[in-house]
Amino acid sequence: MAAFKTTEELNQVMLALWDAIKADKGMGPQLLQSRISISFYYREPESRLTIDCRDGQQMIVIVGDTTFKPVVEMYMKGDLAHDFWLGKVNIPLALISGKIAAKGPVNKALALLPVIKPAFGLYPSIYQSKIFRNTI
Amino acid sequence: MDPFVFHSPTKITFGQGVAATASELIKELGSQRIILITDKQLLKTDLVDSLITGWQAGSDIVIFSEVLPDANLTGVDQAARIAKQEKCDGIIALGGGSVIDTAKVVNIILTLGGNALDHQGMHNLSSRLLPSLAIPTTAGTGAEVSLVAMVRDDKEGKKLLFGSKFLAMDEALLDPELIITLPPRLTAATGMDAVTHCIEALVVEGTSSPLTNTLALSALNMLLKFLLKAKKDGNDIEARSQTLVASTMAGMSFSSCGVGIVHALSHAIGGQFGTHHGMTNAVLLPHGMRFNLSFATNRYAEIARYLQLSNSDKDEVAAKILIESIENLINSLGLPQNLRGLPVPDLKPEQLRGLVDLASSDPAMIFNTRQASPQDIIEIYRNAY
Repeated sequence: MAAFKTTEELNQVMLALWDAIKADKGMGPQLLQSRISISFYYREPESRLTIDCRDGQQMIVIVGDTTFKPVVEMYMKGDLAHDFWLGKVNIPLALISGKIAAKGPVNKALALLPVIKPAFGLYPSIYQSKIFRNTI
Repeated sequence: MDPFVFHSPTKITFGQGVAATASELIKELGSQRIILITDKQLLKTDLVDSLITGWQAGSDIVIFSEVLPDANLTGVDQAARIAKQEKCDGIIALGGGSVIDTAKVVNIILTLGGNALDHQGMHNLSSRLLPSLAIPTTAGTGAEVSLVAMVRDDKEGKKLLFGSKFLAMDEALLDPELIITLPPRLTAATGMDAVTHCIEALVVEGTSSPLTNTLALSALNMLLKFLLKAKKDGNDIEARSQTLVASTMAGMSFSSCGVGIVHALSHAIGGQFGTHHGMTNAVLLPHGMRFNLSFATNRYAEIARYLQLSNSDKDEVAAKILIESIENLINSLGLPQNLRGLPVPDLKPEQLRGLVDLASSDPAMIFNTRQASPQDIIEIYRNAY
C-alpha cells in the first residue's frame, strides 16, 4: 500500500516533519548554519517541498510550486521518501540505482544526512498523527 | 544475498590496433561530423598522428586538444563551443581520464544545451546523449566505462560531479599500443588509481555484489602482477594489455558500487591543489585502508588470501599483510610517499578545515564502510603528510 494516497497527505506529513525539524534545538540551527536551499520533488503522489535556509536566520518551508530556484534539487517517489524518513532506505544503493536523483551540488545535500538523522525518530509519530492508516 | 544493481552499458573492444576502427564505429552509431577531444601531448606522437590521419580519410573530424591534465570547466566550455559551432554530432575521446571526463560533459552540453553547471548532479539527465566513443591512453581511471565525470571548477577550487547512466560511452576501444608511450611515472600513478578503485570497491557498504567483487578482485590480481612490469618496460605489450583491461574492469566495478574515503579525501586535495589524481590516491590509500581496517578486517583478509599474499587463517594478520603489500607496491613504483611529495603545501588551519568540509561532503564518502568524523579526516591528512 502506498504511504501517501494523495498529494495533500504527503504535504501534511512533510510540513509537520519539517516544522518539527525547524523547532529541534539540534537540527534547526545546524541546517540554518549550512545555509542550504533545497527542493524535494516527489512523484506518486506529485508534490514539491522547498527548504530555504539561505539567510542563516530563518528556515522557510514552502509546499508546492514556487519560482524560487534552490541550489540543490532532489527527486524521488513518495514511498521512497516515506521509507527514507523511517530510516529504511539503503541510501548508497538508492543513489547508485537512480531511485534518488539530484540536480546541483550533490555533496551539499549529502552533507546534511548526519544532521537530519535524528528526524528518523520523530517521523513515525508524525506520520501516524496525520495519516490514519497502520502502514508503519 | 543483499539487493544490488549492476549497470555497465558500454561495448568494450580490446586488441592491438583496434583504435583505427574508431571513426567507422562512431559513424555506424549515426554521427556525421565528429569532435575529437584529446590533449596536446598525444597529438605530438607519431602513433596518434597517423591514427587521426587514418580517421580523417573517411570521416569529418574536428580536433580539440586543449584539455589540461586535470579536467576543468574552462576546457569543457571551450570544447563545447567549438563542437556547437562546427555542428558536431558525435564525440571521440582519445586520452586519459581528464580527456574522457571532458568529453562526457561536452556531450551533455551538446545534446541538452545550457552550460556544465546546469547539469551537475546524479541521474538528472533526461535523455540519451550523442554517440560517443572512448579510447583510453592511460590504464587507470576506468572513465571509458564509468557512469560519472569529475570536472574541476577552478574558481571554486572543487570538483564537480556529473553522474548518469547516459554518461556511459557507447563504445570503448582498448588498444594497448596506445599505452606504450605513457611515461613510467604516469604508468605507475594511473595504475595506482585502478588499484584504489579495486580496493575501495571491495569494501564499500551496501552496494557491492558478486559482480562488482569478482571484477575488482580479478582486476586487482592483474594489476599486482603486471603494473610494476608495465612501469619498468613500457614496451611490454602483455603488461600494458593486462593493466589496461584491469583498469576497465575496475571501472565497471566501482561504477555499480561506488568508491570510498580515499577518493573523497583525494578529490578534496585535487580540487584545492590540482594534484595528480592517481598519485594522490596512492599516497592516501594505505592511510584510508588503515582507517577502515577495523570495519573491513575480514574483507581485507579475504583479498590477501585470494591474491596469495598471505595464507594466515588469522584475519588481522592477513589484512595487515594486504596493507603492507600495497605500501610495498607504492614504494617499488617510486611514487610519492606523502602529501608533501605531491606536492601539497603546508596547510594552514583554515585550509585544513576547508579540506575536511570538502572531503566529508564528497559523494564517495557515503559508500565508505566506516563513517569518518571531521577529526578522523584531519588525522588521516596529518598522517599522510
